[in-house]
Amino acid sequence: MIAVELRKLFRRPRTWVTIALLNALPVLVAALLALTDLAPRPGEGPVFLSAVLTNGTLYPLAALAIVLPLFLPIAVALIAGDSVAGEAQAGTLRYLLARPAGRTRLLVAKLVSILVFVLVTVAVVAVVGYLVGRLLFDVQPLGGTSVSGTSLSSTEIAWRTVLAIGYVAVSMLGVAAFALFFSTLTDSPLAAMLGALGILVASSLLFTLDAASSFAPYLPTRYWLAFVDLFREPILWRDVVRGLALQGVYVVVLLGAAWANFTTKDISS
Amino acid sequence: MVGGAVAALAALPSVVAALPASDAGTSAAGLRQQALDSADVAFSGYAQAAGGLALPVGEQLTDVADLLSDRTTMRAWYRAADDWRVDVLTPTGETDVHADAVGSWTWDYVHATATRTAPTPLALPTASDLLPSALGRRLLSEAGEDELSRLGAERVAGRDALGLRVVPAEDAASVARVDVWVDADSGVPLRVQVVADGAAEPALDTGFLSLELGTPAASVTAFEVPPGADVREGQDAQLLQAASRAGRETRSRLPGVLAGLDRRTIDGAPRSVGVYGRGITLLAVSPLPGRVAGPLLDALVVAPGAVVDDLGVRIASGPLGLMLVDGPDGPVLLAGTVSLDALAAAATELTGGDS
Repeated sequence: MIAVELRKLFRRPRTWVTIALLNALPVLVAALLALTDLAPRPGEGPVFLSAVLTNGTLYPLAALAIVLPLFLPIAVALIAGDSVAGEAQAGTLRYLLARPAGRTRLLVAKLVSILVFVLVTVAVVAVVGYLVGRLLFDVQPLGGTSVSGTSLSSTEIAWRTVLAIGYVAVSMLGVAAFALFFSTLTDSPLAAMLGALGILVASSLLFTLDAASSFAPYLPTRYWLAFVDLFREPILWRDVVRGLALQGVYVVVLLGAAWANFTTKDISS
Repeated sequence: MVGGAVAALAALPSVVAALPASDAGTSAAGLRQQALDSADVAFSGYAQAAGGLALPVGEQLTDVADLLSDRTTMRAWYRAADDWRVDVLTPTGETDVHADAVGSWTWDYVHATATRTAPTPLALPTASDLLPSALGRRLLSEAGEDELSRLGAERVAGRDALGLRVVPAEDAASVARVDVWVDADSGVPLRVQVVADGAAEPALDTGFLSLELGTPAASVTAFEVPPGADVREGQDAQLLQAASRAGRETRSRLPGVLAGLDRRTIDGAPRSVGVYGRGITLLAVSPLPGRVAGPLLDALVVAPGAVVDDLGVRIASGPLGLMLVDGPDGPVLLAGTVSLDALAAAATELTGGDS
């Protein structure tokens, strides 16, 4: 069943159009930077973007930072929100469940395909970013400078980038869990996607508010930017670990709720 | 089942916070001594400071104003009094101060600059001054025994911390009290709260969120200018020179006592700059160059709560008082942890008024 779901996901043109559109913005930004040589002033614009003109190997990170606030969550929420509600809307959910496979197995298969989609999307953004960075910008063979001003070798930059990609992927799993949960609540994929995005917008807004500081550590977007901490020296694990744990709790609780809801739901369409 | 698990998770922070801290029978004076003796205790830590002071200082001194009004997140490594590093973290960068025996390096990632600062007798506050250990020791260093009292115990950064309260004795003081929470094991101040006169919430609250005793590696506190960085000279010395130049025409010497506070002797400070007071109650007096005084005056007179009269303009933000006086020899800045009345009294004494 997992293989069936994966094939279905990656055979759909929509999946690849989403991934392509997601990569368009970082590529456009890179082309503009390379053509005009005008990097954003340090401290403005997405993280690491001001550093890429002198070191193109940092572009995968800049590309992730460009899509992280909005485009990446939209893409993930789109696919995850569609997973169950899309079948219900198309009227195919009944037929899927008519097979003796059972609802839990269907949900697990949907979950695995979303997981693979998140990993593929983040990896594609990073790989495209790497290629664009190597092609359009100068590359420092000796490595670069950490946020703390120490020197990092190329190998160190490489493995820290891999960690950062993994961290962003885990952050996106939280988005996917929200969208999947809403997807089991409604028959409209659009409502599921917008529900997940609404949570993220509210979370980002509350995070900037001092009056909400008492529960700020529990907001789902609270630790999204913590991948920057991987480029401090020594690495500041505090927020990274908290971010992983927080996403873990959201994923477990929301998937539990999605499962409880889906296995007891009346399927009418 | 899911609901129960969520409730248990949500209750966990309050359960942990309610764990009782164990108190010890240390006296107030003994605890103060323990804190002062902790200057050679090595540690690494993560701290947060929250300031509620809005300083209307315009374009100048924005770094200082940000420091006192924002939430500042710090990482610190402390090997000795002349070998430490404090990083101020922002979501997309950091500003690090590396101190060594003959000065300090400041690394600013966002601007890719490394600034070398030589020690000066007087300096503007920086984020490293907000680290609870440094601030606590500084505020306790001159506290008299009659100003001290013991509070109970609290848990700070997961450690047992003993409370110590300082209530300044000076009439001019604008600080109602300072609460310092001292680590029961090592004597390192873990949390400092400064409460202004008449305020319920602290004007400044800085504390460690985690602290690990033990000497950090020398490579962590050392600094090497990264390739491609812009190297600059610190501004503290220039500021002092500017103050010194601005005060060159000053015919009158600064008095020995101002608003009931005694003048402090600071070796190497320009003659025209004076610091008065003791402990938590301090008042700095400095002539200002006209190009600095003009914009500052514009920012001060329109600030809410500013008092403008014949003496000049004065304003209070929490316990911090700021006054720009039109002195006989040019503009003079008065700043410190004194009340508005004390500022007015000091201005009257400086300008030779009779009220």
